[in-house]
Amino acid sequence: MSERLGVERTRWKNNVREFGILIAFVAIVAVLMIISPDAFAQPKNLIGIVKQASINGILACGMMFVILSDGIDLSVGSTVALAGVMAAHFAHPDTYPVIIPILIGILVGLAVGLLNGIGVAFGGIPPFIITLATMTAVRGVALIASGGSPVYNLSDTFNGIASGFIPGTIVPILAVYFLLIILFSGFVLAKTVFGRRIYTIGGNEVAAKVSGINVKRMRLSVYAISGVLAGFAGVLLASRTISGSPTAGQGYELDAIAAVIIGGVSMSGGAGKWYGTLIGALLLAVLANGLDILNVSSNYQMVIKGAIIAIAVLVDIRGKSRNE
Amino acid sequence: MKTRKLLAVFMALMMVMAVFAGCAGKVTEEESEGGSKDAPKKFALFMTHMSNAFTIELSDAVKAQAAELGVDLTVNDAAQDVAKQISQIETAVNQGVDGIIIEPVSVDGIMPGVKMAKDAGVTVVIVNQQISDPSAANAYVGVSNADGGEMEMTKAAEDIGGAGNVAFLYGPMGSDAQLGRLEGYQRVLDKNPDIKVAFESTAEWDTAKALSLVENWLQANKDLKAIVAQNDGMALGALKAIEDAKLQDSIKVYGLDATPDALQAVKDGRLAATVSQSTTAQGTEAMKACFAIASGETVDAEILVDFTLITKDNVDEFLK
Repeated sequence: MSERLGVERTRWKNNVREFGILIAFVAIVAVLMIISPDAFAQPKNLIGIVKQASINGILACGMMFVILSDGIDLSVGSTVALAGVMAAHFAHPDTYPVIIPILIGILVGLAVGLLNGIGVAFGGIPPFIITLATMTAVRGVALIASGGSPVYNLSDTFNGIASGFIPGTIVPILAVYFLLIILFSGFVLAKTVFGRRIYTIGGNEVAAKVSGINVKRMRLSVYAISGVLAGFAGVLLASRTISGSPTAGQGYELDAIAAVIIGGVSMSGGAGKWYGTLIGALLLAVLANGLDILNVSSNYQMVIKGAIIAIAVLVDIRGKSRNE
Repeated sequence: MKTRKLLAVFMALMMVMAVFAGCAGKVTEEESEGGSKDAPKKFALFMTHMSNAFTIELSDAVKAQAAELGVDLTVNDAAQDVAKQISQIETAVNQGVDGIIIEPVSVDGIMPGVKMAKDAGVTVVIVNQQISDPSAANAYVGVSNADGGEMEMTKAAEDIGGAGNVAFLYGPMGSDAQLGRLEGYQRVLDKNPDIKVAFESTAEWDTAKALSLVENWLQANKDLKAIVAQNDGMALGALKAIEDAKLQDSIKVYGLDATPDALQAVKDGRLAATVSQSTTAQGTEAMKACFAIASGETVDAEILVDFTLITKDNVDEFLK
């Protein structure tokens, strides 16, 4: 009798962990729609929220790979700035075709990611430390590369990368990049051997090694993925703000981590779903959008955001202790 | 056992260093006393950070003036960390400088560094932001944030005919620039009761944050007439949001700082106005004052540099 009750409770707890965030998300959206029917609830605004979630969401995708492998990447905010600055240098009107700045930004991100990956996989440096180091150094390089001021006067084609809509609709192009990237990430994580191996490494590194997984190469890959996505996010941010600013992206690593954690990915790796990260990123954007529209002071917004992160982790920990 | 040995070595090192530090302090005092007869030679500049157009222009101006006076100048970057700035000041004083110019990270937190330098007989000039106890330094060169805010907001109020909804974009809440510029906005609001503040929030000087924030505000259909930002970075973010929403004909945007990209936007007729903090003049005056005091001359304890309003009419004078 008590055993069956226990099993049911476990199942219920698992459901809370899996769907709790979705329920919370729907509840928050519903409340905001009731409070602000003419502004928040407008279709144009709702789709605009996806656009605002996009840059953080793309960073969160990369962060999800890293955290699932039991790592962390603090360098993404600085990488956004450096990739944006470098892309902007090659994006002045009548210089290079637009693909050049995009590739430059992505390559900058890849370089930072590989540096992190090599440090973790082959140098044995704890992820927190190596990415803290690159976070600091890369920000410095961004400041040096830009002389400390934003790089501006960019071509209309470059500025158009992140602006505008899918022709004939109200769907912002920025949201499309995000949704494609998160869907692809979800496919890789759930349906490929590579993805399942990331879970294995994050869950139990020893078991992964014993079963013949090349752990070092896998670790290198996840940081490279995070770097590439941060580089691309940097290009998008530069395009969106029509300038490459060396001080852009400060604290973005923390927002990306927040989105992943709120989405139920375990901080100790090995557990979590891609759609959690999607909802995590959307939830942060919904809160900012709704509270901005209602003119809630940013001081209160910070308190609310902090509380939500704490609750999400609490659910994660409680769910896990039940399972054990 | 090993730990204890290490600890002993560490303690011994600390004591040796303390002795040296004590000596260095004394030497400096003697030097500065003895050196006051000759022309002062060694100066140091302490910047909050070196990561935007404003701080670079300010330090460049101090450097240029130092070169003109023929004195040595070392530039220190505190990376927005007040503890680091104090350490840098201590190091410079111990190395024996005649005068220092500080752009304080924190107007309260920097006080120990200011007192330490002053006690060692070093001339101290504060630039850009006044410290909480002005008497601790020899002079202050800067601007009144409130006056700058007032100049920006006065222009905005005129342009919208003294009535309508406006929105404010603030720097980091509680910072001196945020509070000071807001005080200036408030002075104008007091004179124009028909101007209503529909939205106000911080975007922490950040273009991307201001862009998202204004996108959200525009959803609320509050019939905004103007967005007044406390720096140009945020103003340009607001401008992008407004242009994306094709509202540039009904909402004007105002900035402050006169950064190169903002000046270009003013010239292109996109940004309604920006305000120059006369950054170069601040740096030049600070170096001049520091040199004069260290040479034994007296100067005013507070030297205020005027702001300049920049619109399409006079922007060409500022574009380099």
